Amino acid sequence: MALETWQEQLRRGTLELAVLLAIAPGRRYGLEIIRRLEFTDLVLSEGVIYPILARLSRDGLLRAEWVSDEGPHPRKYYAVTARGRQRLAQMSREFRTFTRTIDRLIDEAAIGDQP
Amino acid sequence: MILSDTGESRVRGYLHIFERAMRAAQPRALTEDAVREVESHIRERVAEAQPMPNEREALERILDQLGTPGRVARAYSLELMMDEAAIGGRVVAVLRSLFHAAGTGTLAFFTALLLFTGYASGIALLSIAALKPIFPGNVGIWMRDGIPRAFGGQFPAPAGMEVAGGYWIIPFALAAGLALLVVSHRAARRWIGSLRAKRVAGRTE
Repeated sequence: MALETWQEQLRRGTLELAVLLAIAPGRRYGLEIIRRLEFTDLVLSEGVIYPILARLSRDGLLRAEWVSDEGPHPRKYYAVTARGRQRLAQMSREFRTFTRTIDRLIDEAAIGDQP
Repeated sequence: MILSDTGESRVRGYLHIFERAMRAAQPRALTEDAVREVESHIRERVAEAQPMPNEREALERILDQLGTPGRVARAYSLELMMDEAAIGGRVVAVLRSLFHAAGTGTLAFFTALLLFTGYASGIALLSIAALKPIFPGNVGIWMRDGIPRAFGGQFPAPAGMEVAGGYWIIPFALAAGLALLVVSHRAARRWIGSLRAKRVAGRTE
């Protein structure tokens, strides 16, 4: 498998967690969420974020509402629901455990930052 | 950046293509909401952008970052359609997902074809059960020289062939048709569920 393909898989697997984390501090609209994720290098195409937001809303993890008077254009704001916070806590725990395990394996393999 | 008429046309064109692509696979309410949200995104990006080196290139950069209308619509399909099919199991959603999944690879195409064939055969058997009492001389097992040649309905009855099989065909076709539909539907849901799991793990687009 090419490195790029693996990186793409890694991104996609992490994106849902990253989206929830980006919204967790307070309600945000789509572009704000994308801006918060830009530095993570997770979002290669901005358009893929909106379907994820729609699915998370439908799954009851996010609550969405259109607001017309807070900007030059109507914005759809998202907030994490109570169920979403529960899921986020679970996902964060799982992710931390996972990364710790992988970190340990990398350390044991003594690969470090070798090129 | 304030868009010129040309820029406005480009944005409207993008949204029009996106809407058409969405409508092909998604419910109207979701399509309208998605178009509104994508338009809001573009307007926000345009408002904060500088027309550098010119409006056209700045706008193309914004649309490029967003993704082509087809790609964004496909992302909606993958996120929502398969969920609806795998979780809800509605026949329309499952068939839509099959149709969509068929275009993702050779193996997926033949798997979807097999499942569509299962659905079609189930419907054909149910049709036979429904037509037999109405056209008893045209529906049944078709024999030529005492050898069975076909099963189903033929209008008009072909020369040199005679129909065999009594009304027992009705419960048989009904049971076989329903069984085939149930098996095909379960298999389709299971397959879509596995595709969805792969998507969550990041193995499909």
